[in-house]
Amino acid sequence: MTQAATNNPGNSTSDLMVEMRGVNKWYGDFHVLRDIYLEVKRGERIVICGPSGSGKSTMIRCINHLEEHQKGEIVVGGVPLTQDVKRIEQIRRSVGMVFQHFNLFPHLTVLENCCIAPMWVQKKPRKEAEAMAMQYLERVRIAEQAKKYPGQLSGGQQQRVAIARSLCMHPDVMLFDEPTSALDPEMIKEVLDVMVELAEEGMTMLCVTHEMGFAKTVADRVIFMDQGQIIEENAPEPFFNNPQSERTQLFLSQILGH
Amino acid sequence: MIHNQTMIEQRPAPSSSVGAVAWLRTNLFNGPINTIFTLIGLYILYLLVVPTVQWAFINADWVGTTRDDCSREGACWVFINARLSQFIYGLYPSSEIWRANIVFAMFFSLIGWLAIPRLPFKRWVAIFALIVFPVISFVLLYGGYFDLPKVPTHRWGGLMLTLLLATVGMVGALPIGIVLALGRRSNMPIVKSFCVVFIEFWRGVPLITVLFMASVMLPLFLPSDMSVDRLVRALIGLTLFQSAYMAEVIRGGLQAIPKGQEEAAAALGMTYWKRMGLIILPQALKMMIPGIVNTFISLFKDTTLVMIIGLFDLLGIVQAALADSRWLGFSLEGYVFAAFMFWVFCFSMSRYSQYLERKLHTGHKR
Ligand SMILES: Nc1ncnc2c1ncn2[C@@H]1O[C@H](COP(=O)(O)OP(=O)(O)OP(=O)(O)O)[C@@H](O)[C@H]1O
Ligand SMILES: [Mg+2]
Repeated sequence: MTQAATNNPGNSTSDLMVEMRGVNKWYGDFHVLRDIYLEVKRGERIVICGPSGSGKSTMIRCINHLEEHQKGEIVVGGVPLTQDVKRIEQIRRSVGMVFQHFNLFPHLTVLENCCIAPMWVQKKPRKEAEAMAMQYLERVRIAEQAKKYPGQLSGGQQQRVAIARSLCMHPDVMLFDEPTSALDPEMIKEVLDVMVELAEEGMTMLCVTHEMGFAKTVADRVIFMDQGQIIEENAPEPFFNNPQSERTQLFLSQILGH
Repeated sequence: MIHNQTMIEQRPAPSSSVGAVAWLRTNLFNGPINTIFTLIGLYILYLLVVPTVQWAFINADWVGTTRDDCSREGACWVFINARLSQFIYGLYPSSEIWRANIVFAMFFSLIGWLAIPRLPFKRWVAIFALIVFPVISFVLLYGGYFDLPKVPTHRWGGLMLTLLLATVGMVGALPIGIVLALGRRSNMPIVKSFCVVFIEFWRGVPLITVLFMASVMLPLFLPSDMSVDRLVRALIGLTLFQSAYMAEVIRGGLQAIPKGQEEAAAALGMTYWKRMGLIILPQALKMMIPGIVNTFISLFKDTTLVMIIGLFDLLGIVQAALADSRWLGFSLEGYVFAAFMFWVFCFSMSRYSQYLERKLHTGHKR
């Protein structure tokens, strides 16, 4: 999947894939994101963790404008995110997203799920889109299910299809929002394996997850969020062995303690 | 959520080996109270069915040309027979009826083709039905081209007019309804309030009023040298009226689609219209088939109201025929016939929707 990491038509050669500068967001009076500063280099793998409701999902969803921020600046692949719909769509084409609940399209087969965006957004001919989709489905080891509908697959299989669907757009960055937390334990590994491979191939990844094993193996940096703020960020080894803030320590002891 | 791929079809419970007697005993005659109810029910049924069958079939007269061919003991279907061509084509000139027949034949073949799943080229047939067929129908029915004599719309009537009103209403109301439903969910304030006002206006006004307004008031607003055909006015009124209802049905369907679907589509870079057209609407419309068909059925029956603005749909022409002095006193036959025709169409639609529902249910949902 090295191709996915290098193929970035129309984007600048900036080394920074994602920049968030002083990003703030409110839901009414509720201040969800407070002064977020975050820089993600090309090829970097970031794991984001934190207690429920701390704003992790909101933060990564701001990157592809599934949520709108009210203050601050977000730049993706050198393109500043504005209100402009065309601009937003351009950024979304280069940012893949994997959701907690897969969000596959139930009325389309696995193959169609993967082809629909390449065909309709990138205007690829069907044959080409299908060939590419099959390639990615093979990489996530699910090619034999291509003709099935999402409802006929297990959760782990569905999530791997969702990853393949995103990869078919050749994204420069992949966002994962708790990709394994809706899965039964025996299916978590098959999804994490795919994600580890993706990381090893150099994909830029922002991953909200509580899979600390995954964070330790692949993350370049771990970010801890609480109450809409980035409390701590560090390489995995010092992050886990020597957390600085009390809240991080408490969180880690809760999550690793049981 | 692993669905078994070779799910076993549900089968009806095995029938009792003792057969009908056992069924009667367990279902109708188990205990004294049930027996009494069953007997009362059977008696009422007897009182209703026997005279009806006698009237409609046994004592009925079928052949002949005038009222003297009827014995007056049962139904006089001779009346329907004699007037059938009027009931179907209205006052369409009899020398030109072949034109209407071609349209009828195409209409039913197209519907059949689209309704029967096995037949291929659905997309092309649908495009033909929506674009080419209306043009052909108009040219054939109205004439004025290719040496076809013009048949003004006030001569159109009967079943032909009913089907025309219903079909145009349905085909027009669906897309307008979709646009209104999407508009009502939009977060652009102007679009949203326009759609809300539009929908609530049409839903709050009785169809009769709409038709009156279309026929009486519209000409007052238009410049006097501009006249819009009465049929066209009725069609516009009917379509707009139905599209408001359709919009509400579709909005219900849109609400039932999880938010994640649109988010996933958006995350892939799809534009609003692609998200709607490729992801949201196909799912919503599938779920909304029963609601949409219900709206269609009520529209089909509502077309009878055009009678009050002087158009002779199936019911209108039957009623007009009842006033014929040669056929006085056959109103029952006339109304039974009209009711039966309406029932056939509405019942077919309802059965087809049930069939579709079953098909989608056993298909690959979720
Ligand atoms: N549409 C919304 N309207 C109002 N408040 C919201 C909305 N979406 C999220 N919130 C609130 O914003 C806060 C952050 O939500 P977010 O989903 O980002 O948390 P999270 O860190 O992803 O939590 P989790 O681990 O439970 O997914 C929560 O307190 C949530 O209640
Ligand atoms: Mg979350």
